[in-house]
Amino acid sequence: MKRYDLIVAGAGPAGLSAAAEAAKCGMRVAVFDENAKPGGQLFKQIHKFFGSKAHKAKIRGFNIGSELLAEAERLGVEVFLNAPVLGLYDGREILVRIGDETRHYKGDSIIVATGASENMLAFPGWTLPGVMGAGAAQTMMNINRVRPGSRVLMLGSGNVGLVVGFQLLQAGCEVVAVADAAPRVGGYGVHAAKLARCGVPFYLSHTIVRAEGSDCVTGVTIGEVDSGWSVIPGTEKHFDADTICIAVGLSSATGLLKTAGCEMEDKGPFGRLPVCDEYGQTSITGIYACGDVSGIEEASSAMIEGRISGAAAANYLGFLPDAALKARAGELEQALEALREGMFAPKNRGKIPDKTDEGFDVSMSLLTRGYLDDAEVAGYPGVRSAAGTHPVIECTQNIPCNPCQDACPKGCITVGENIVALPQIDAGAECIGCGLCVASCSGQAIFLVNEDIGGGLASVTIPYEFLPAPKPGDTGVCLGRDGKPVCPGEVLEFKSPPAFDKTGLLTVAVPQAFCGRARFWKREA
Amino acid sequence: MRIENHPILGEPEDAREVFFTFDGKQIKGREGEPIAAALRANGVLTHRYTKKLGLPRGVFCAIGRCTDCVMVVNGRPNVRTCVTPLAEGTAVETQYGAAARRGEAGK
Repeated sequence: MKRYDLIVAGAGPAGLSAAAEAAKCGMRVAVFDENAKPGGQLFKQIHKFFGSKAHKAKIRGFNIGSELLAEAERLGVEVFLNAPVLGLYDGREILVRIGDETRHYKGDSIIVATGASENMLAFPGWTLPGVMGAGAAQTMMNINRVRPGSRVLMLGSGNVGLVVGFQLLQAGCEVVAVADAAPRVGGYGVHAAKLARCGVPFYLSHTIVRAEGSDCVTGVTIGEVDSGWSVIPGTEKHFDADTICIAVGLSSATGLLKTAGCEMEDKGPFGRLPVCDEYGQTSITGIYACGDVSGIEEASSAMIEGRISGAAAANYLGFLPDAALKARAGELEQALEALREGMFAPKNRGKIPDKTDEGFDVSMSLLTRGYLDDAEVAGYPGVRSAAGTHPVIECTQNIPCNPCQDACPKGCITVGENIVALPQIDAGAECIGCGLCVASCSGQAIFLVNEDIGGGLASVTIPYEFLPAPKPGDTGVCLGRDGKPVCPGEVLEFKSPPAFDKTGLLTVAVPQAFCGRARFWKREA
Repeated sequence: MRIENHPILGEPEDAREVFFTFDGKQIKGREGEPIAAALRANGVLTHRYTKKLGLPRGVFCAIGRCTDCVMVVNGRPNVRTCVTPLAEGTAVETQYGAAARRGEAGK
């Protein structure tokens, strides 16, 4: 039986972070994962992350995964792949299946970071080929590089549904609709707005009535639900579709903790979760839980929780003095708390705030249709009219994110100490039109507008992450926030320098009257 | 169905093209990719039919958890095709219940 100072179950963002943190303190660490590749779900996250610098904001998930893996390897962490942990027993012993063998290991400390699995929803036809988890679609297109289908309906408007929906568009699929039984969009408004301006319709208070087809999905019918979640007769809508993605939440994968006998508690909508102290230690001394297994959050929080548990395990075995743990955990908890503020914080789950922290009205249009109404945009602090090129920041909810503030070399944008605050434009600072803010905004909510470029035209610069890359002179149509055509648009410039990390900046000329409405561009068919 | 170029991920890594069989028919895939990905790229969506009701099933979770995508691979039934890598000459068959042919009682 091989013995390690620390054994980690799960090589995702939490597990790898925990392993790296512990190894940094001098521990001998082994990580076991059932998958053929490490990184958990990080390598299929191709969008830029939210948060601040401390949370690796504006870096794409798969790049964060590569960094984390390199760090763990550099620190001598042993990562065992294709190695599912089958059980966790007394004395912190584990059984692992490797090939056709079952092997036995002992950890003087154990960190369980087994993540979560996707929730499912049963409806007539849900077992047909073509119905799949949103995560499955993401794996297919971003890892396996095969389109999950051609025409996709997304059920679920939480961040997973919205982010995967946009990635489906990037992979060249058509998204026929986003439906959600809830009356409000569940994820970040900026994610919804990215989809809506591409023309994807939102159906809130709608659920799937049935998937159609005999051998595979050929269509789907959705219908509006009443307050008791029953479909209201006569509200059914049909879509031709070959794929239905289900994004109705995640459940913590707590199996190992249960087999170990860790105390669990009922956390209402979060399910049954392990009872943990501030460092993630479970009811069993020396066994820790971190990341989604201890409560569903973002990968950004999972990585910090992993670091805290890694440091705590190091302290438990004497690799890290008490004072050093206190200092390290304090700094990490501060970063974690910053992510847990704002409207989407775990503590606010299920609530529908109608005002931002600053007292601005939350857009009902954004929450029910996925986009800001043209008439209400001007009321937010990131939106103002000015001479010359200037940023227009359509960021209207308190979400933890501030890269725009650091991006601007001229200090035009202020978020402040509290990273969930809405960005504000400093009217006195001069915009040089560099576009760094546009590329740094993980929510793609910043545009550059010049209201008068002469000849009755204005220019609008749009974050653009699609192929083929537009060229100057290309003509097309500009779409509004609702994805409907508003005016013709000719491409003036398209730039995508390495510093923008694949977020291209597309500048189009539009008639002046439409510079406040044109927010996407579609090539002429 | 393959994504040859992607705005964020660029072009896929080079992989050797291999031949494999699906229900006896020879088709092409990329070495090392999950069998399920190779099948989808070839337009195959139905992996198996259930034992009692004979209903079709395909890829559902794509990460080896749900077992909906199992097929008979190299003669062995119940192989999770979404996490099993493709090799030259892999023989993949539609699974009926737990067997490779309809009406055959598989184990």
